[in-house]
Amino acid sequence: LTYLKGSAWGSANVGGLITDAAMPFLAYCSHRVRYEISGPDTGPAYVLVNGLTQYSELWAAYRDTLVAQNFGIVTFDLLGQGESDKPTLFIGQDDHVAVLRLLIETLGNRPIFLAGISFGGIIALRYAIEHGETIAGLVPMSTFAELPPQLFLLGNAMRTGLILGGTGYLQDMLLPMNLSDAWLAPLMDKLDTVKRQGWLVNDVYALQNLMESFLHFEPLTPQLHQIRVPTMILNGEFDFLTPRTLHETLRTHIPDSALIIIPRAYHAFTLEKAALTADLLVRFAREVMEKRWSGGGAVRIAPEEAGGQIVPFPAEFDHLRAIPARKPAS
Amino acid sequence: MNQFLGPLDQSGRVPPRQQTRVAAFLISAHGALARRLAFALPARMKAAWHTELNAQLHQEAETVSLLMRATFWALDPELLLLVPSWEAAWLPKPVPEIADLTMASTIDTAALGHAVHAAIRPAALLPDKASGDDPFVMALRRIEFENGRLMQAQILFLKGQDLLPFRDAVNAAVEQRHAQVRELWDAMLKGVGVQREGRS
Repeated sequence: LTYLKGSAWGSANVGGLITDAAMPFLAYCSHRVRYEISGPDTGPAYVLVNGLTQYSELWAAYRDTLVAQNFGIVTFDLLGQGESDKPTLFIGQDDHVAVLRLLIETLGNRPIFLAGISFGGIIALRYAIEHGETIAGLVPMSTFAELPPQLFLLGNAMRTGLILGGTGYLQDMLLPMNLSDAWLAPLMDKLDTVKRQGWLVNDVYALQNLMESFLHFEPLTPQLHQIRVPTMILNGEFDFLTPRTLHETLRTHIPDSALIIIPRAYHAFTLEKAALTADLLVRFAREVMEKRWSGGGAVRIAPEEAGGQIVPFPAEFDHLRAIPARKPAS
Repeated sequence: MNQFLGPLDQSGRVPPRQQTRVAAFLISAHGALARRLAFALPARMKAAWHTELNAQLHQEAETVSLLMRATFWALDPELLLLVPSWEAAWLPKPVPEIADLTMASTIDTAALGHAVHAAIRPAALLPDKASGDDPFVMALRRIEFENGRLMQAQILFLKGQDLLPFRDAVNAAVEQRHAQVRELWDAMLKGVGVQREGRS
């Protein structure tokens, strides 16, 4: 988790391309949204939507990989996050969708692939439902369309934890829930450093506002069939915050979708397995642009490392179970 | 300009001039809230929420008391000009579109409380190496931690059902108080060589 803070206006030379890594602000109502565009001005571009406690610098590894593969990449801090404005009392999920619409408009006429993790996955799903015609593909990651009791109660507990214990306590809850022992073990004596940047950029009231935008959450499931773009759903094998069943709802309701299970991964696999995830994003976009993508409701298993083979989940077994149970005969 | 307080001395202590300026600002803001709460609190409680008002009053008083004792004070003549300007900023402001003066005053008090508790993050000014044994460092951490809890009363009130018909007016009042508090806080910090990230 190295936090590399760039200058307000930096530049990088990647793969022979001169790319501006700009950090301008987008105006939305009376608020400013900080975003960053890297990579070529034409051709496909990925727009990445943050999770709840994330900030755009955490996508740095994706920027490098995607730009090297001639993709444009847009990252931004949601309203209430990082260096974007933090509305004092109210932030609606509609606001995030509207910001995303403005951001995607600024990219002009090029194939846009939209990916979002967790809270950002909800925003990406909502965007695809409302403005699907403006994107070429969708990648919901570690996300959900419903708030079943476990997730609802976990969300409430997190909100209470935030209120009573501050951002640090919320981080203390999320780190062990969302990351593997393999990732945490070497960092055990540096966890305060790992958490510090997230603690610095996240304000309690702003996180609380983001969380409270779920108080009146209506399930998206009845609208998922309106998503007509190719959709690659990514879910960590061991994600117990948003487990397989929540992604299954997406797979079964989004027509041209496939579910890819990331081996040995937890909820925050975009952080823990950045190289693998970035590789999957590139492969998905290429398949869509070359018209090789076929979702078909498939269930697949991602490789352990970037560049490996994606294999089908064994057809005779139930992918919703944690033990090798055979599918019931139907 | 630095993003954090400092440079720290060898024992990890914030320079006395910075301690003095930061503490004076916080005492002014929390002291103003304490005065407003003391004025609003009835001698005999009649509603359950009066107990929260009482708790808030004494928490604000504790913040003031803590800073007075934990700060390593230095002579700072500029405070003769700065403190009156801060005190003037905390005075009650009308809330447009709210005709009921009592309600407007309560909304403004809550808006100021929300801004002071939410927009000011004193612990976020401390550099990584600040000594946890230093009373000023501990005080800033404690104040920020308690602020996160204190603001819940303001959030409940400002986002509550009773004020929903006035949502836009309430929201505007809170946004304005936040902008005002941030501006004064940032200006004060600039005066001691600190500029928060993303603020110019």
